[in-house]
Amino acid sequence: MSTRWLPRSMASRLYLIMLAGLMLAQGLSLALLLYERTASATTMMYNTVEHDVGTSVAVLDRLPAQERPRWLARLQRDNYDYVLGAGQPGTPLLAKRSREVVRRIAKEVGPDYHVRGEAIPGDAHRYQVHFTLHDGSPLTLDVTPQIMPIAKWLPFVLALEVLLLLLCTWLAVRLATRPLTRLANAVETMEPTADGPRMSEEGPVEVAQAAVAFNTMQERIRRHLKERLHILASISHDLQTPITRMRLRAEALDESESRQKILGDLHAMEHLVREGVAYARTAHGGAETPVRMEVGAFLESLVFDYQDIGKPASLVTTIHGAALVRQQALRRVLGNLIDNAIKYGGAAEVSAWRDEQGALCIAVSDRGPGIPAEELEQVLQPFYRLEASRNRDTGGAGLGLAIAAQLARAMGGHLTLANRDGGGLIATLALP
Amino acid sequence: MQHTDHILVVDDDREIRTGVVDYLRKNGLRADAAVDGRDMLAQLDTSAFDLIVLDIMMPGDDGLVLCRTLRGGKHRAIPIVLLTARDDETDRIIGLEMGADDYVVKPFSPRELLARIKAVIRRTRMLPPNLRITESTPMLAFGRWRLDTTARHLLDENDTIVPLSGAEFRLLRVFLDHPQRVLSRDQLLNLTQGRDAELFDRSIDLLVSRLRTRLEDTAKDQSYIKTVRSEGYVFSMSVSVHGNDA
Repeated sequence: MSTRWLPRSMASRLYLIMLAGLMLAQGLSLALLLYERTASATTMMYNTVEHDVGTSVAVLDRLPAQERPRWLARLQRDNYDYVLGAGQPGTPLLAKRSREVVRRIAKEVGPDYHVRGEAIPGDAHRYQVHFTLHDGSPLTLDVTPQIMPIAKWLPFVLALEVLLLLLCTWLAVRLATRPLTRLANAVETMEPTADGPRMSEEGPVEVAQAAVAFNTMQERIRRHLKERLHILASISHDLQTPITRMRLRAEALDESESRQKILGDLHAMEHLVREGVAYARTAHGGAETPVRMEVGAFLESLVFDYQDIGKPASLVTTIHGAALVRQQALRRVLGNLIDNAIKYGGAAEVSAWRDEQGALCIAVSDRGPGIPAEELEQVLQPFYRLEASRNRDTGGAGLGLAIAAQLARAMGGHLTLANRDGGGLIATLALP
Repeated sequence: MQHTDHILVVDDDREIRTGVVDYLRKNGLRADAAVDGRDMLAQLDTSAFDLIVLDIMMPGDDGLVLCRTLRGGKHRAIPIVLLTARDDETDRIIGLEMGADDYVVKPFSPRELLARIKAVIRRTRMLPPNLRITESTPMLAFGRWRLDTTARHLLDENDTIVPLSGAEFRLLRVFLDHPQRVLSRDQLLNLTQGRDAELFDRSIDLLVSRLRTRLEDTAKDQSYIKTVRSEGYVFSMSVSVHGNDA
């Protein structure tokens, strides 16, 4: 790409473009101004110098030789003065402008004076014009052309202008890019299931329009999700009563193989319904107020509850001290992870630590078959099932991990799955 | 003659009502059904019940309202097991705060319901009469701790929650309900067994030691739970009942 040399951020690009443009324009007008000045100065000099020199030479020519020195000071100008004598030895005059001046002077004073121009070696601009007066004495005009000096305050004004330009550009760029950054942040932090903050719909028209559009979209997504969850919750909820009835009916049947099968299916349905309700509910998981809780005791009690009903769960490493947590959400997340570990890995190992940033990390690991690397992300989606080993026969609605991931997000943390060295799965919940 | 527990099942769904009643009868209990709150109150006036199974989701007065009505009236001593469609901690806590003794989530297995019914009856029967009625479930305070009997966790003096496992909670509850009384391992086992799971005698010792750790009641000066050689354990600290104001 040809834009590789451009800075990455839009603000700097805009800044660069605007600044470059403004500086260029400024530079151009300054150059134009200087050129104008020089041109007019030159023209003025061309037009006046020959008459002035002609007059001066005529005056000096007519004065008696002893009076001439007194007049030299009066005839002297900024750019040139007169010297009585032959002047310095020189080289032929090459500069076009100087030759033009000499030519005009020669034309003005006439051929009687034997006008001849010579450059002074070692000085680029200086030159001398030699005359021979009527009494035979030589006269030299020493010319030191100078451009009119630039005012002392000009550099300061220029610097001030540049500074002003910098400031204005910066303001303009900020005005243009700030709303973009805000929009990006809003999109980033948008929580479609919770009532996230709306973007402020103020500012310039375009910005306000974008904000309104964003808010509308957010609202639409939220409504859509709500509706979906509502459907899931309603179906799950309304199934509870019929399933309970069927269960009671099945229990009333005489012992038989088909009764066992019906009970088994009902159990699976029950599980699905319970998880469906739980998933729909945990989507609004932000509601629970965090409490101060002793984390070590919490993890022990959790693991003991499993041990007490004869399930293989253990606490490997733990931490102590209180933390501000959403207790029920945390219990559900870890419960789901431990259930999974036991179901697929045979046993669950729980460990807890604090990472470098001080975030509370709790991991549940097993020595089961693990999950293929390419599916580690997908299993966190609702109703996602692994093709290979975790089919419907092993039970589970495919919502356990989705619920856990969703609650982890609602708690402001995140859940990551990874395969362990030596086989098995490790699910790590990190809470800031 | 041995007393047969008499259960009243209140549910607006006919099939669930009769199904539960049939199941309970089949399992050796006496059971009757009521279709709504009014029916329930009428039946309570005419015969004696040992426990009420109450559905929360009912037209008219729902289970939570009825629960509170019962707790405020003359039938306040009858234990209640709620049937709820919502598996949620807050609903459970509301139910228990309304004075229910336990709850079962729909869809439930009748077996589970039966186990809960038996556990609740056993527990209430063992309680001293003054603690039998729990109007708004209290905080039990002892030493530097408070036990929140609704949320089933401990609170220390800084209001930090110290969670308990189910078994730890049940054991502590038994101790707090019977302070300064020596309880044998058998008694403790009997009182703490909510379910029909078989635990060994030794497991009570294990539970007590866990509970001591939890209470920071360490080896030398066991100020909370004292071992009584060859008899069992005694909770040696006085227990006071607080409101739910924390």
